[in-house]
Amino acid sequence: MSALEQFAPLFTPASVAIIGASASSVSAGNRFIRHMKTFGYDGRMYPIHPSADEIEGLKACASATDLPGVIDYAYVAVAAAQVPSVIRSLTGRVRIAQVMSSGFGETSAGHGLEQQVAQAARDAGVRVIGPNCLGVYSPRGRMTFTERTSADLGVVGVVCQSGGLGIDIIRRGQNRGLRFSGLVTVGNCADVSPSELLEYFLESPDTSVVGLYLEGAGDGRRLFEVLSAANSRKPVVLLKGGCTRQGQRAAASHTGALSGHERGWKALAAQTGAVLVDSLDAMIDALLAFQCLLPRANPTRRAVLFGNGGGTSVLGTDAFAKAGFEVGAFNPPTLARLEALNLPAGSSVLNPIDIPAGALQQDEGKVAERVINAVQESRAADVLAMHINMTVVLSFRHIDMLGNLIEAALRVKARDRVGMHVVLVLRSDGEPDVEQRKREYRQRAVAAGIPVFDELIPAVGALSALRHVETFRAHRTDA
Amino acid sequence: MTETDPWAALRAARAQERKTLDEPSGKAILASFGIRVPAFRVVRSNGDLDAIKGELRPPFVLKVVSAEVVHKSEFGAVKVGLKDEFELNSALDAMRATLEGRGIRADCWMVEEMVPAGLECVIGGVIDPEFGPMVMVGLGGILVELMGDVAFRICPIEKADAVEMLRELRGVALFSGARGREPASFDALVDALLKVGGKNGVLMGCADAVSEIDVNPIIVTRDAAIAVDARFILTPLA
Repeated sequence: MSALEQFAPLFTPASVAIIGASASSVSAGNRFIRHMKTFGYDGRMYPIHPSADEIEGLKACASATDLPGVIDYAYVAVAAAQVPSVIRSLTGRVRIAQVMSSGFGETSAGHGLEQQVAQAARDAGVRVIGPNCLGVYSPRGRMTFTERTSADLGVVGVVCQSGGLGIDIIRRGQNRGLRFSGLVTVGNCADVSPSELLEYFLESPDTSVVGLYLEGAGDGRRLFEVLSAANSRKPVVLLKGGCTRQGQRAAASHTGALSGHERGWKALAAQTGAVLVDSLDAMIDALLAFQCLLPRANPTRRAVLFGNGGGTSVLGTDAFAKAGFEVGAFNPPTLARLEALNLPAGSSVLNPIDIPAGALQQDEGKVAERVINAVQESRAADVLAMHINMTVVLSFRHIDMLGNLIEAALRVKARDRVGMHVVLVLRSDGEPDVEQRKREYRQRAVAAGIPVFDELIPAVGALSALRHVETFRAHRTDA
Repeated sequence: MTETDPWAALRAARAQERKTLDEPSGKAILASFGIRVPAFRVVRSNGDLDAIKGELRPPFVLKVVSAEVVHKSEFGAVKVGLKDEFELNSALDAMRATLEGRGIRADCWMVEEMVPAGLECVIGGVIDPEFGPMVMVGLGGILVELMGDVAFRICPIEKADAVEMLRELRGVALFSGARGREPASFDALVDALLKVGGKNGVLMGCADAVSEIDVNPIIVTRDAAIAVDARFILTPLA
């Protein structure tokens, strides 16, 4: 059975069993049912309870043997010690069980119990996710395990070894414009490994980019094999916790002394095209870039910056250059073309192109479109980074300069035939009204395929991630 | 069978609960994978030195083979540039006396042809708890830890990986002969790296029997990469 077939019931279950919902109080199982109802889950839900007739308005089954037919997904949140026997009771009744309970391998006393869970999973023929996790989020399957999750379908698939960080990725990510095909929290991975779920997302036609947050050990070799076989077919962004812990072995050789945990993950990234990031925000930035931008066949090298603000242009140029991008002078034909636009006084048409807001306001910012058009049509850039100091631009209250600037970027993006990446940096001062405008424009831009970043430095980080994949694919095609 | 099985000595050493493989056996393994090693003979006494004449070309290197010596250069247990049997004989006497003075027992001795000067590099291997066998290449020979100019990859590597590893080194320009130095063969080191870390390489062949490998230094000349030392750290038999 392919990973796609095996784990499809996890993301689009026709039926769900809940083990650990209470008839008298609000436990994790009750909250799960409530979240599922609120989110609009339209399959069948069966709470299992030995005595109650009804839980959360749903008819309860006294035991797993009373379940009608084979259930796709079981949500298990019972005391740790009961988990192995609960899993065994699901034999032939449930395809995939996710165990939320904690008190297993993450504690010093729980290792034995975790092995019993793994054994019970094998004996029962049930694939078990967890223990010690939070659940699955799948807009397509109308499944969620937490509140305020977007119902929009997306292309980002995530495997997350931390439940709490999984909520961060969904909630912070969706506010940045990420839209998910699915996110699964995997906890201690007693049975199903992260690499198996990675395989699912690599095979899933709904997913075009995969994010992984890993902190445990032991799945590295298989991960390497899965990623090698995938040959960067889809971008994979990897955030690895615990990278700095050195190997415990006392080295007996020069090589041993130089090796350490992080070396392996860096090697993995170099050999498979996976992108290694080192923070949650860097992961979201990279996922957003891959959601919006199609990797180029010729790796991104030449950056053109365009915006209002001399200081930001200078710092942005430094950030691009430090990351190995070229912020070079325009060639004479491009320069002539830009000069022919007769930009307002105070503008600089060298790269970075800097047009102060005071100059931009003369035609309400409409000149921006002519500028970036000229850059695009002269094929002067692999990436155009447009940065806007919102505080300054919004202070010209009599005109919609911000709207015009962003419209310009959207139209240029829509017309693009040369594969120029367009990224937008909306720099805010944190005032509520400025933040509100940023939200609105961010959602519009991202929906149109333009990733939006808060500053130039994270934009550079995301573009470096994109370039890593582009370069890997270009090299492997040559070889 | 023992003649053609490169791992026989390694199995025997593990059966004897040795922690490392002796250098002649290690080099025999490397040679069986097609990695160049200097021509050498094992000698057990001064009397064996007579047989060297005509078989090896001077200048010679004399090394002790002893499980008790970890880093030979730190024990004065390597003598280079020996011109003839006379110098070999006196070097052997002096080395034996030095080691005996320190209470170290020699298992035997190696006489090797001296490798011409070249770029001192390292190829290494380590069995990573997460990823299994990993291969390393670095610059600096025995100074590799000071320089820290190394690149790691997960085994098995392909040629593109090996090339990328060398290009990742800060000192990669040394291969083209920086500042009037002789160039060093990039291709020969890539080839040796593949023979250690590639699909049918040394590391894939012994990942269950060793924890670490040092081929250090491996001297890269204009046209060859020659493994001058080989250390295999063995894992205990289960």
